[in-house]
Amino acid sequence: MVDSGGPVVGDTVLAGTSGIRAPAEVFNSIFVVFLGLGTLVGVVVISYTLYNAYKYRYREDEDPAPELERPELGELPESGGKGKKLFLSFGISALIVLSLVIWTYASLLYVEGAPTEAQQNGVDVLDIEVDGFRFGWQFTYPNGAQTSELRVPANRMVNLSVTSQDVFHNFGIPELRVKSDAIPGQTTNTWFVAEETGTYTANCYEICGEGHSGMDAKVHVMEPEAFQEWYANTEGETNGTHEGNESAGGEDHALSGPDEPAAPGALAPARAGGAP
Amino acid sequence: MSHGEADGHDAGGHDFPPMSSVKRWFITTNHKDIGILYTITALFFLVLGGVLALLMRVQLWGPGESILSAGAYNQAVSAHGLLMVFWFISPFAFGFANYIIPLQIGADDLAFPRLNAMSYWAYLFSGLLFIISFFQGGTFDGGWTMYAPLNVPTYMPNVGGTTVVLALIMFIAAVTMGSVNFLTTMYRMRAEGLRMRDLPMFSMSILLTVWMMLFAFAALLAALLILGAEHLLGVSYFTADGGTLLWTHLFWFFGHPEVYIVFFPALGIMAECFQTFTGHRIVGRKWFVLAMVLVALQSFVVWMHHMFLTGINLEIKTLFMVTTIGISLPFDLMVFSLIYTMIKGRIRFTTPFLFSLGALILFIIGGITGVFLGAVVLDYEFRGTYWVVAHFHYVMVGGATGLFAGIYYWFPKMTGRMYDEYLGKLHFGLYFVGFNLLYFPMFGAWETPRRVFDYALPLGTWHKVATVGGFLLGASFLVMFYNLFKSMAVGEEVGDNPWEYSTTAEWAVSSPPPLENFEGKPSYADGTLSFRDEPQLTADGSGDGGPGGSASTDGGIASGASETSSGHRSDGGLRTESATAGSGSALVTGPEAVTPTPTGTVAVHEEDEHADHASFWPFVVCFAGFLTFLGVSGIQNGGAYPWLAGTGGVLSAVGFVGLAREPFYVPEPTMAEQWPFAGVENMKLGMWMFLGSDVVLFGGFIGSYLFLRVANGWMHWHHAFIPEDHVVLPGLINTYLLLASSFAVVIALVAAHKNSSRGVVASLSLTWLLGVGFLVNKGLEWQHLFHVSTEAFPNGWNVGTNVASSTFYLTTGLHGAHVIVGLIMLMYMIPRAMKGAYLGDDETSIEYFGLYWHFVDIVWLFLFPLFYIL
Amino acid sequence: MTQLKLYSAIFVVLMALSTTQALVERTGFVDFDAPDTYWMAFGIILVLSFVKAVFVATYYMHLRWEPRSVTYLMLGGLFVALALTTAAAYSIL
Ligand code: HEM
Ligand SMILES: [Cu+2]
Ligand SMILES: [Cu+2]
Repeated sequence: MVDSGGPVVGDTVLAGTSGIRAPAEVFNSIFVVFLGLGTLVGVVVISYTLYNAYKYRYREDEDPAPELERPELGELPESGGKGKKLFLSFGISALIVLSLVIWTYASLLYVEGAPTEAQQNGVDVLDIEVDGFRFGWQFTYPNGAQTSELRVPANRMVNLSVTSQDVFHNFGIPELRVKSDAIPGQTTNTWFVAEETGTYTANCYEICGEGHSGMDAKVHVMEPEAFQEWYANTEGETNGTHEGNESAGGEDHALSGPDEPAAPGALAPARAGGAP
Repeated sequence: MSHGEADGHDAGGHDFPPMSSVKRWFITTNHKDIGILYTITALFFLVLGGVLALLMRVQLWGPGESILSAGAYNQAVSAHGLLMVFWFISPFAFGFANYIIPLQIGADDLAFPRLNAMSYWAYLFSGLLFIISFFQGGTFDGGWTMYAPLNVPTYMPNVGGTTVVLALIMFIAAVTMGSVNFLTTMYRMRAEGLRMRDLPMFSMSILLTVWMMLFAFAALLAALLILGAEHLLGVSYFTADGGTLLWTHLFWFFGHPEVYIVFFPALGIMAECFQTFTGHRIVGRKWFVLAMVLVALQSFVVWMHHMFLTGINLEIKTLFMVTTIGISLPFDLMVFSLIYTMIKGRIRFTTPFLFSLGALILFIIGGITGVFLGAVVLDYEFRGTYWVVAHFHYVMVGGATGLFAGIYYWFPKMTGRMYDEYLGKLHFGLYFVGFNLLYFPMFGAWETPRRVFDYALPLGTWHKVATVGGFLLGASFLVMFYNLFKSMAVGEEVGDNPWEYSTTAEWAVSSPPPLENFEGKPSYADGTLSFRDEPQLTADGSGDGGPGGSASTDGGIASGASETSSGHRSDGGLRTESATAGSGSALVTGPEAVTPTPTGTVAVHEEDEHADHASFWPFVVCFAGFLTFLGVSGIQNGGAYPWLAGTGGVLSAVGFVGLAREPFYVPEPTMAEQWPFAGVENMKLGMWMFLGSDVVLFGGFIGSYLFLRVANGWMHWHHAFIPEDHVVLPGLINTYLLLASSFAVVIALVAAHKNSSRGVVASLSLTWLLGVGFLVNKGLEWQHLFHVSTEAFPNGWNVGTNVASSTFYLTTGLHGAHVIVGLIMLMYMIPRAMKGAYLGDDETSIEYFGLYWHFVDIVWLFLFPLFYIL
Repeated sequence: MTQLKLYSAIFVVLMALSTTQALVERTGFVDFDAPDTYWMAFGIILVLSFVKAVFVATYYMHLRWEPRSVTYLMLGGLFVALALTTAAAYSIL
């Protein structure tokens, strides 16, 4: 019914120079369609409701359907009509909902599969581990560098492996439309491509204690060259404050997948599940 | 014994205190009284939850901390959610359900009136526990979803956090008692000719609600018992690998049905109001009902749409996306059905209709925004944001809007007086505008994370508007309270039926209805409601009820102060009244006789047919439960807590014995529609219903064990976590013991059948001994395991040693607790059997006990292989 | 009297099946390092538990003689419990 999705929604808009359609764009384009249709359906249905409410308001002298049998005290319940119209409108709305959701399913497959596909096509992916703790975030780069602010290059696919050192958090950068649960003992994956350089804010989206409201981290999207320069300088050293990564991997658990950042084929957010 | 009898006597139907008496409200078991208690208590929690909400809205006026500290904000957010979802919405709906359902289906009361009172008191005291938790170092502050592992003592060391868990457990006890009661009532006590499919829409919605409650709350109970054990016994489920996800599964398995549990009663009320005030029957009623049934079933297979980002696999996400979209379709149909009902109607815009219409509109918006969330790619971004907050307030508070329709709709029935229509409309206007000002901007501010007070500055305007809306919404309730209070005293008096085009039976009796609801037996045998003469009643001439014919109890003799009149009304109406007034006439016939009681009043002796309406014991038992839970909450801290727990325990024992020994007569209807449970007496059906929920409770425990085992590696589990000494034999012996004890119960039944008192005593005693043997064997086994000392487990294998020991001790421990309860029941039964009880037709008690005991046996049949062999 | 015989016969069967379950363990099939035999034993043992449960419910709890709807009620509860267990476990496989 639907193939891996790219073509269905992906052809029209391509992200910047990376050539990868970012989840942000997938979200935005679908969101717009939903908003449009949702508003339309809402306005139509509510107006129709109000129109009928007004049209059939009680009037002493006028019965819109004198032949109609009105409900009486003590009767056994009966239907007030056969409901042919009911099924028509039901059918239409069901059709709208179903087609919308099938359509978005294609994008879901795309979002879930893109990192694997990119890797297979030799696209350069930056893998970063995100560790939530009460109350902050720690980012670990492939070279082992750790920071408390996230720095990424523009127009490059960034793959995040998110976990937590204590309680349930949720890592999200609203402007970049990236979000993932941070669950202790388990890793979830998400990815994004940032097009505009600048500074954004990451928040925690799951209540985690007193500092939840302030559990932010700065996110710097840098020019690729500037990023390279910065990254080269971090080599090996650790400038984060928090001792990270004591994730109890290694054994044949179904959860808490292996720790090496980029196991091929396991990049979908379901990576935690791995194969048993 | 004599005490109990005296109690039952003067508390019975004879001189049941009037409504103005405070005592009445503590002892009443009448469904209408309890309905009123529920309604008032729920409104109290609405105010409490509302105040917390306004505090948060003040904080959200601008980003950053203002009137609440960070910790206080988290408490407010969590308590607000918990109070509104648990202690307000459903109990509010069940206020109406209590009052109206028996009237609608033609029953005198619920099947188990004392259980109903227990349910109410458990609800009230659980709420009080919650309130106390604020003063125990702060209440629970992990959100109403209570996600793990923030919910365990490591992160939530305050006693208040534990108290809330216990309060919820007590609340679930109330819910389960209520569900069993309503199900039994609706299946077994309908008026003649009223088939299940003919249930009025409100009754139908409550029927489906209680079905969902029966199963969904059992799953939550499993989650909370585990959480309680984390707090009090030191087990570790939720901190183990996979524990976080386990909580989300258990919680949302309950949580999604819960949203329909919250919404269905409102839907029922909306359907009733639409039919009444449009004067047009519900279009496609059959389909409407079918859609509701479908939703109720499907609600148990959509829960993972709350977990799309937790790393569950793509296949299961796809499946749950499909079921989620599937469940939105029946709602489509219901919405259209209501809309089409207006066509050709003669719509009167009374307050209840306005609220119903408003609820429909809000629900449409909530439903549309829910479809956004059902699309997984969109949900990936909406998760944890104000979009979700806005969506669920539109649906849930939209539902509450339907319930406010209900309070205006039935106010005249419950009080006998009309509310003020102008003020009602004013309330609606303020409410609807306030509601949309409050929640619609949240869609605009959707990028705000949930449960924070620090948000990006550009979102500030939306939040300011929302705060204004919140205060408007709050203010609208002042109008409602004023209106209802005032109208209770000075509202225009109404007759039986103030609403043209209403159809249901509650409108065919006086407002408020007499204590036992109907004079004459309601029947639909000839297609419409009629009231048949009750043979015993013909003598005093009150058998001529019929629609509109029963207002005579109102006013009447006591036309003066409304107080007196309500006293008379609640006194059982004509019978007592005329019996006292003119005892000379041919009023009293047959076995009835007028005799002075010790208290000096004249009463009618009719023990074998007059229902009891009063018992003090439900209050006592629940108060005892309250003390116990309060004591247990801080028992680790010592001080007064252990004393409280001890006192509570003793008082519970007194309460339960009192309850068991009190003669309390509840007639089963002689003529009633009982499909599909004809032939299963009320008690037995109640027991089965309870066992049905117990299946899910144990299912939750066993499911948790299996889940954690999968998460930790199925095969790995045994090597890593379980000592060599954990062997099959003790389990096998216990299997033998329990099977034998089950067999002994069956023998007891056979003996009772043969009228052999000695046989009954002997086999029940054997059951008891085998049960005790089971516990002793288990005790020995546990002792041994606690003290194993191996390389892998140098300090023994305790409750908290690892995830395997936690699941083992807690699951078999829960089962053991069931065994203990059974043994206690036996300790009550055996002495009675010695005095010759339970013979012949009286064997049913043994049968009901047997159902319970065999069930406990069956559970063990699964625990044995799962925990001892595999 | 026939009742009693029936109940006794069932009791014997129940005891025998329980013993069988333990025996399956003794045969060494429940071996955590040999998935094939393990899962076979797993299946056998759980099926035996189900059989026992059905016996107890049908005869000792008299389900057989009650309206079918009581059975459906219990099956409903069972279905709910199984849905939770299997789907939750599957979600992390
Ligand atoms: C059209 C039908 C509906 C659909 C498709 C739908 C879908 C959803 C989805 C997917 C979520 C999860 C959002 C997230 O956390 O990321 C959600 C949340 C929620 N929904 Fe609905 N929903 C529908 C109707 C309802 C109804 C009728 C109610 C209640 C009366 C309701 C109450 C809730 C609540 C309380 C939450 C949030 C729970 C929380 O996280 O605190 N929904 N809905
Ligand atoms: Cu956090
Ligand atoms: Cu849901």
